[in-house]
Amino acid sequence: MKDILRRHQVLSEEITDILNKQVKIEAQSSASYLALAAWCDVRGYDNCAAFFFKQSEEERKHQMKIFRYLTDMECNAISPAVAESQYEFGSLREVFEKALEMEISVTDAIHDIVRACRKAGDIATEEFMRWFVQEQIEEEFVARRTLELFDVLGEDKIALGMIEERVLHVEYDGGEEG
Amino acid sequence: MTTETVTSSLGVLIFSTDNTHLYQCDTTEQFTLVFFGQKVVFRFCELIVFKSKIRKIDLFNLFNTDVPDIELIHLPHCDRFFALSTLQILELRELFSGSFAMMELNSIIQRRIVRKAL
Repeated sequence: MKDILRRHQVLSEEITDILNKQVKIEAQSSASYLALAAWCDVRGYDNCAAFFFKQSEEERKHQMKIFRYLTDMECNAISPAVAESQYEFGSLREVFEKALEMEISVTDAIHDIVRACRKAGDIATEEFMRWFVQEQIEEEFVARRTLELFDVLGEDKIALGMIEERVLHVEYDGGEEG
Repeated sequence: MTTETVTSSLGVLIFSTDNTHLYQCDTTEQFTLVFFGQKVVFRFCELIVFKSKIRKIDLFNLFNTDVPDIELIHLPHCDRFFALSTLQILELRELFSGSFAMMELNSIIQRRIVRKAL
């Protein structure tokens, strides 16, 4: 009897489900970043808007990376429905707090996938997810650092102007010295 | 202990319940579900989707007296609908549970014995 299961089902149902869930999380995250970008844009925070537009594109890329992995593995990839995002905020700081919360939530979900892969003995997907683990270190770092700008500079008009200037230059150097 | 492989024109019988049977055809790599006398042919990916639909049915909701205890399932690959009763859903779940256990067992045998010898 042919081993059709192995030929056509590279990933288990459990792993397929959790990856599809992550596709939805990334799509939701991408949509939420768009809402943050819109809030900033209409209030004249052009650089902050550019920052969030870029983040939105990044999340979309993450979504597609997982989506393509599922289809490459001959699994049923589900194009997700995305709920309405929060689009009203009290201040710019609140917007960046929301961004950090989203990144933490994505990181937790990524770590859950890695744990599920280990439990299922799915070495290939665990290896595939390694890139996302590293990516989340960077994403969280950037979100945390931008939020810290508010602690360092304050929230008056001059401070907000300085944050506008600096927000596009916050980068993760990968822990390199110097 | 003896093992017996049941084959028919539909292929190798993977698993059976009282009213349902699942066959695997090695030539076409397709599966035939015999369900209360009806035959439906699936490719593997279609079978997985169908199995997933059956798994996601909320049985507790079917026991609710306010809703009909029938679930409609569409099979787009052959454009058919199944109107499934609670008992039929339970029987399909048993069939899939048994069938996939057998397929996994076959996978283990292939990995440990057949492919190892290659």
